[in-house]
Order: sequence, then C-alpha cells, then structure tokens
Amino acid sequence: MALTTAPGPTRRDTGSVRPPAKRGAGRNRHGEGLAGYLFLSPWLLGLMAVTAIPMLLSLYLSFTNYDILTPLSEVEWVGLANYERMFTSDPSYWHAVQVTLKFALIAVPLKLAAALGVALLLNRAWRGVGLFRSLFYLPSLLGGSVALAIVWVSMFNRDGAFNSLLSLFGIEGKPWVNDPDWALQTLMVLAIWQFGAPMVIFLAGLKQVPTELYEAASVDGASKVSQFWNVTLPMLSPVIFFNLVLETINGFQGFTAAFVLSNGTGGPVDSTLMYTLNLYISGFTNLEMGYASAMAWVFLLAIAVITAIFFSTGRFWVHYSDGEDR
Amino acid sequence: MHPATPPTHGTMAVPVHRTPVPRRRLLRRLLAAAVAVPLLLGGAVACGGDDEAGSDGKVELSIFWWGGEARAQLTEQALALYTEKNPNVTFKKTWQANQGYFDKLATLTAGGNPPDIFQIDDNFLTEYAARNTTLDLTEYKDNGKLDVSKFPESLWQYGVVDGKLAGLAAGENTQGLVYNKTLLTKNGLPEPTTGMSWEEHIAWAEQVAKKTKVPGTMDASAVDKAFWVWLRQQGKDLYKGNDLGFTVEDVTKWFELWKGARDRGATPTPDVIHEGNATDITKQLVVTGKAGTSWVWVNQMPELKKNTKDELGVVAYPGDPGAQWARAAMYWSVFRGSKHKDAAVDVLNFLSNDPEAVKLLGTDRGLPSNLELRDQVSQSVTDPAMKQSIEVETKLAETFGAAPQVPIKGHSKVRAELTKAAEEAQYGRLTPAQAAEQFYAACKSAIA
Amino acid sequence: MTATATTAATRPRAPRRAGRGQAVRLVILIAIVAVVLYPLFWMIGTSVKSQEEIVNNIGLLPETFTPGNYVDGWSNFDLSFGRFFLNSAMVSLLTVVGNAVSCLLAAYAFARLRFRLRGVWFAVMIGTLLLPGHVLIVPQYILFRSLGLVGGEWPYLPLLIPQFLATEAFFVFLMVQFMRGIPRELDEAAKIDGANAFGIFRHVILPLSRPALVTTAIFSFIWTWNDFFRQLVFLSDLEDYTVPVALTLFIDSTSQSAVGPMFAMSVLSLLPVFLFFLAFQRMLVEGINTSGLKG
Repeated sequence: MALTTAPGPTRRDTGSVRPPAKRGAGRNRHGEGLAGYLFLSPWLLGLMAVTAIPMLLSLYLSFTNYDILTPLSEVEWVGLANYERMFTSDPSYWHAVQVTLKFALIAVPLKLAAALGVALLLNRAWRGVGLFRSLFYLPSLLGGSVALAIVWVSMFNRDGAFNSLLSLFGIEGKPWVNDPDWALQTLMVLAIWQFGAPMVIFLAGLKQVPTELYEAASVDGASKVSQFWNVTLPMLSPVIFFNLVLETINGFQGFTAAFVLSNGTGGPVDSTLMYTLNLYISGFTNLEMGYASAMAWVFLLAIAVITAIFFSTGRFWVHYSDGEDR
Repeated sequence: MHPATPPTHGTMAVPVHRTPVPRRRLLRRLLAAAVAVPLLLGGAVACGGDDEAGSDGKVELSIFWWGGEARAQLTEQALALYTEKNPNVTFKKTWQANQGYFDKLATLTAGGNPPDIFQIDDNFLTEYAARNTTLDLTEYKDNGKLDVSKFPESLWQYGVVDGKLAGLAAGENTQGLVYNKTLLTKNGLPEPTTGMSWEEHIAWAEQVAKKTKVPGTMDASAVDKAFWVWLRQQGKDLYKGNDLGFTVEDVTKWFELWKGARDRGATPTPDVIHEGNATDITKQLVVTGKAGTSWVWVNQMPELKKNTKDELGVVAYPGDPGAQWARAAMYWSVFRGSKHKDAAVDVLNFLSNDPEAVKLLGTDRGLPSNLELRDQVSQSVTDPAMKQSIEVETKLAETFGAAPQVPIKGHSKVRAELTKAAEEAQYGRLTPAQAAEQFYAACKSAIA
Repeated sequence: MTATATTAATRPRAPRRAGRGQAVRLVILIAIVAVVLYPLFWMIGTSVKSQEEIVNNIGLLPETFTPGNYVDGWSNFDLSFGRFFLNSAMVSLLTVVGNAVSCLLAAYAFARLRFRLRGVWFAVMIGTLLLPGHVLIVPQYILFRSLGLVGGEWPYLPLLIPQFLATEAFFVFLMVQFMRGIPRELDEAAKIDGANAFGIFRHVILPLSRPALVTTAIFSFIWTWNDFFRQLVFLSDLEDYTVPVALTLFIDSTSQSAVGPMFAMSVLSLLPVFLFFLAFQRMLVEGINTSGLKG
C-alpha cells in the first residue's frame, strides 16, 4: 500500500541495518524494538484475531458470488466478474460514486470550517464555556436515530420550519428533503450540523499548545494575528491533519444520515444514494454480498490513494513537535 | 440433521490454483487462511451438535420474529401455552422491529445458526428457499403433522416455492384501499366502492380534489402491490416462472394511467407522493391528511386509525377484485439444519390450529389461516377498525382469485426499481415510456 | 499576558469577566446556538405530543401537552426502559476503558518507539479504517461464532473484546497525532534521568496525553451509546438489548407506530451522553503546561 511513507521516521527504520543511536543516553535499539512490540501487542492481537481475518475474508468473497445465505464452503469463485460488473454494466454504481464525491467535496470542508471556527470561539476559559461546548455538541449526540430522521424531514419539508424561516424574508421555499435536486444538500446540512466530533478534537488540540509559546511570542512583540498564524496553526497542524484525514474518510463513508433520511432507499430517485448505502443495499437487501465486497475493496483502494496524498503533502505543512516532520 | 462441516472444506473453498507468481501466492495463502480459520473452527463447533433432544428429553427451540410490543406479548403467551402443554419444549425468543430484521436473520444464517423457527415474508421467502435454508414442509403436510386442511387452498399454496412448501402462512391479508371517510362525508362526496374501475377511481379522486382541496388519491404508480393487482386484471402477472410476467408496454400503460391522474390534479405533487411512497404507517398520506386515500394492506387499517382523528374506511383496490388473492401476510419457516425439526413443525401446527393459541394471537399477523378458527376470532373482536377490516377481507375472500406464484429471487430489487422509475416519471424527469424502459431493463438484470 | 477577548487562540490564566467584546461574542454564540438547537427543541416538543399530533402537527409546541409518552415509553416493554439504559451504560463504559488503555499503548509504540516494520504496521492500521464496515459484519459474525464467542452466557463479549484489542484505529491514529505534538526534548530529558521506554510512557507521555484520552473517552462512550447495527446483530435477548436497539422496537414500520413514546425515550437517552460530555469536557478546559515536567 502507498501509505508506507508515514509517519516521518519510518523510512529510516524499516531497513535491517540500524543507524547508531544519536540521541539519548545510549538506550539500545534492540531494547526499544522489543518495547515497541510489547506496547503494540494488544493491537497486533486485535489485528490478527478481529480485524485481519474478516477483511481478508471479504477480499476473498469479492471474487465470489457470495449471497450471505450460502455456507462459505459452497460459494462459487467468479474471478473478476464483480469488478467487471461494477465498471461496465452497473449505472447505479457510477451514480453513487458521483453522489458521494459531491457530498464529500462540499460537506467535509464546511464541516471542518464550522468545527474549527466554533472551537476557536470556545477555547478560552470563561464562565459557561463548558455549557456552550456541550450545547454545540448536542446535535452530534443524536447520531443516526429514527427520531433524528423524523426531525430532519420535518425541518426541511415543504411546510417545515426552514421554509417558515425563509418566508420571513419573502423567499418561497422548496420541499427540500423530498426534492431530488435538493435532498443531497439537506443531507450535507445534516452532516455539517453534526460538527461536534471534529470540534472536540480541535479543542483538545488547542489545549495541547504549550502556553509558554504564546508567552514567548508576546515577549517578542508578536501581534495576536501573527500568534495565531505562527503559533496556533503550526501547533494545531497535527490535529488539523487528523481531522482532515478522518473527516474525509467519514465523508466518503457517509451512511447513517443517508440511510435514515431516505428510509434506506437512497431516494428520492437515488439522489442520496451514497456509496456505502448502495453497497449496503447490494449486500443485505439484494443479498449480493460478493458484489458488495468488491465495491468495498475498490472503495478502500480509492480512499487509500486519497489518504496517501494527504500523508505525502502533510510533510510540507504538518508540524510535529517530536521533530520528525522533515 | 445438520451436517458438521468437515475441516477439509476449508481448503476446497479456495479454488485459486492458477498463477505461480509469488506475490499472488502470498495473497492466495492469506485468503485461504482467512477462509479456512472460521471453517475449521466452525466445523469443530458444529460437531458438538446432537440431532436428538437431550438425554432428559428437553428441547429448546429458538424462535425469531419481527413486530411491535403487542405482537411480542401475544406470541410469548401462545408459546408459553405450548410449553404448558408440552413441558419438554422451551423457547429462546428473539424479537425486534422490522428495521434490520432481515440483516440479522441473514447474518445468523451465514454464521450457521439461524433460529429453528423464524418469521419471513414474501419478499424474502424465495431467497431463503432457493438457498435451501428453509425446511421443506411438504412431508409434514402430507402425513398430517402439519394440518393445513382448514386453510384456504390458495393461502398455503402461496408458501410453495419450486414445489417445496417453504413457509407456512402465519396469517392472511390482502390489498386494501383506505380512504378518509370524514373528509368525504363532510363535503357530501360519495365513498369509493369495491369494483370501481381505475378510470372511475381517478375521476372520483379528481372530484374530491376539486371540492376539498385535498388530492383525492395517492399516486399508486410506485406501489408494487397495486401494480401487481392491475397486471392481474390485464391477464398478466408480476412473474411467470423465472421471468417477468409483463412487458414494457404494460409498464408504460401503468405509468401513463397515473400521469393522467397527476395531470388532472387527482393526486398530490411529486414531493408529497414521494413521502407516501414510504411504506411506514405514519407516512401514509391518508393519515397525514395530504391525500384522500392510501394503498395499503387491509389489516393495517386499525394501526392507521391510531394516527388520525378522522374516520377511515377500506375497500378493495380498483378494478376486478377477483385479481386480489389470499396473501400470506407473513410466514413461519423452519431452518433446514435445525436439530429439532419435528418439534419445530409441531409448534407451527400449534400456532395455526390450536383454538386457544389462535385466539390468543388474534389478528396480529393477519386473519388466522385456519378458517374455522378465523370465524371464532372474528366474532370476539371489539375494536371497530379491526372489525371493519375483517368484514372487508371476509367479503373479498369470496371473490379471491388463485394465488400467484411467490415472488422470485431479486424481488426486493424489482420493488426498489419500480419506486425509482415511477418517481422519475412523477418528478417529470422521464416520460412514462422512458421510465418503463428503465424499469424493465433493471428488472431483467435484477432477476437474471 | 495580555489576552483580549478577540484572540480565541490564547488561554489566559484566569477567566476575564465583562468587556464589550465578551458581550458581543456571547450574543453571537447564543444566536448560533438557538439556530443549531432548534431541531432539538422541536424533538423535545414532539416528545410531549399525542400520537395523532406527531403525524399531523408539524409545529414546535403541542396543542395538548402529553407527558404520558414518557411513562408509556419507560414501561412499554416487559422490562422497564431503565434496563436498556443500564445495559448501554455498561457496554459504553467498558468500551471507554478498553479503548483508552489499548489504543494508548499502541499509539505510544507508533508515535515514539522504533521497531522493525513500524511503517508497514502503521499503514495497515490506517488501512483498517478504510474498508466500509458493512462488508465486515458477516465475516466478523462468522469468525466470532466459530470462536465460540456468540450467544455465550455473557452476550456482550463479541462487542467488547475488539475494544480491548485497539481495533478502533480511529483512536490509535488520534492519539498518535497528539503524542507527536509532545516535544521530544521531554523524552530526552527523561532518558538522561535514566528512564527507559516504559518510564517515558509512565512519566512523560501518560500525563501529557490527557486531552487525547479525554477525547477518546468522550467519543468511545457516545459512539457506543448510539451504535445500532453491531449491537443488533450480537444481542438476541430483550433483557440484553441496549438503548439504540430498544428504541427501534417502538416502531415496526408496517404494523406498529408508537412514535410518541419513541420520541420520549430518544430525548431521555440523550441525557446520559450529554451529562457524560458535560463532565468530561471540563478536563479539556485546563491546558497543559509542559514546562513543569521538564528536568
């Protein structure tokens, strides 16, 4: 996979010849390697026992006609047929790809901007700030419940609250959620509305910026604006990077909102048929899990490329205090 | 008898012996290992199984159904009654709402441990029967251990897939057009009647719309059960053998019929129709007041009533009511690999034919399948909405035609595609003919 | 320090009161909050509407106040709804513990220690984030069942074991990013004092990872509290059901529609997570003063 370039120091360390220790009080490398694997052991065990086998199994199934109901020992190998079908004869697949791209390209940046903006507003300690943070997080607590679906449809219906708001300004609304030209946009609004998770991560990141850096900057006479650009942003960059990578992955994987808002159909007329929703319908409703698995692996490869691009550009703008960013 | 998976199957499952490229070999080995591990372990687990009841003769049957709290209570009472009469048999009961039910059932089946008895509907019966997940009940029917002699003939036959009795009808229902009675009487309008033609229905709806400002009927072009009835009235059917029972022209005619209705203002706007296309009770336009009728099942009437202040009425779908049939509202099926098949079948028999059990279950899963007991149950019903739906269905039963074949593999996709194509036409993005083309092509690939 | 209200990035030692900037910001915040929270007010309003009104009255407030939904919802099932709250709380809290411990260990290895194949493992870890979960449910179920984990005495095992084995790569990656923000000089200083990898973990990384740990705790708790599909698949007894699974029991879309009680319980189920968040976000308030740890 293309991701082996990350994080910083790995390229130096994967070689079998170890460079002599340059820093520290002569801790030997062998000992650190052992410690590394010790600390890593729960994750490795989890990878082997919980994650890897199902992943490989799904890769195998992507070359079969697996339909969930047939026992594994009886599934038929179909070679690349599932992949061929996806690329040559399934228009709804490409439709779902377009819907997902549109969703991710618009919703992800706006959600991150909202999260960072509110996090900056709520970063200072003042009385009641905790309450505000919690209130802003509230929408994210709803997850993807049935209640949320009902709420959202009622807000963005023809006679919903949003249109009442618009009518105050003399604008005539639309049946947003039930209009194939606008349903995806209401989904985006929902995703942006639930900006709590990246907001919390930004807040936590802001807390990690050592205060003495600001003090030093003030002593040097730096203005607030320049402190923001020269202290806050660089120090926050690992967290910005994390949010960017994860929200992008989340955006492309967006399922729950599309599922609850459209009753699991991706409607009206497939306007909210996100990639993973299409995959779910193929796998569970149409019982074509082999095909769904193929979709999932194509998805993995595509997102891996995007993530790899993030990681390679990250070297130019993400600042790590462990001194290994270049 | 559930055949324990021999461990050797693990390696057979990966027929990837072609290219000698080393990297591919590594991947192949990884894949082989990934498939082999659960199979090997699973084989060991399955070996511990025992075909017979334990040495003390005790049997625990797992049973799984979807539904609400009311159904859960009734079913649990009936099962408790069974245990009372057969102390050796106890139940491990699982119930949930229909959201996620079939996802879970499929996953359990994949894991090799579906419940001994499970509830299923005609969307999925063929899928499960075709994969040999369900036990063929024919033998039990023939030797009388499963008594269907009091069932309407067409009702139990609606559980036959490829010559095998894959599911036992747990109750009967049929298509019902529910209308807003209050709205009509308030405006001095006539109520729809069984036997009205589709044209008459649409004309009536237009009249309602003009007088009340509420669109008279819901656009049914996306409603598969209405399309199905209409097809049968044209001498066609949804499926014929393993193929579709209709042509593109039929679909075009159906879509055009409803385009006409929309143009005449007999139906709501497309966005409202889209809301009504969801099958949820709370979204039916007749209860949200956005249309005068909804296309549902007769037995859903009482639950619809809870969501509106208005009086509701129910009649058959337009056209010849003989096109409707005694549909199994849902089935009970037995897992083919169950260790206690005989006991499971006996429970099915009990739930359909024991007077006390049937009385307990009432009409929750549709009208009782056993006609003798149906009469008794009907007489004891007090809820007026329920009473009315029973009356209508009993009356329709007199004219019921033969049951169609159970929907074939791919039916879920066909339903979804109908909604999609119909909505393309409703939103005016495609002409009826174009939408019909799209639907027909999608169906062909769905059932291929 | 000369922080003013307009510099959000700085963190003053003591909260400043009054000030016009502060007041303006407060007004802006309240306005945003009102818009953002309107759907939630609507949800609360709906939870006290009658069944018929929920379907037909789209307004914020009920015509007839129906608090009975809360009573009905709480006692709708053979078991009180409190049982589902307890189940969810247990699963969520254990998930918090599992994720916090196991992901912290793994993240320390990735962020600070040098060992063979580290880059490969890191890439694999990120890779596990990328595969859509829906194709993993069935294989995972088959695997867990063949391992004998499904349907045991304690049905939560298949839900919790993965959480104790750092399988949530999200949290591992999150903690890696935070740890890489901790200056390397602190490690070096500790090494000079004779600390080995474990000592550094214990005395430098662990205390400085609090923001990451708190974040992990918050998300672990809330996401588990809301997780539906996995809990649905692995739990089969009413008495083992968790809140998200129980909430779906109110509405069987074709046969039952207890929307009022469902709304009431949905509102109630927000309370524990809201309180959990309120309690834990406090720990995000205080920043970290790394200088105290040096030397």
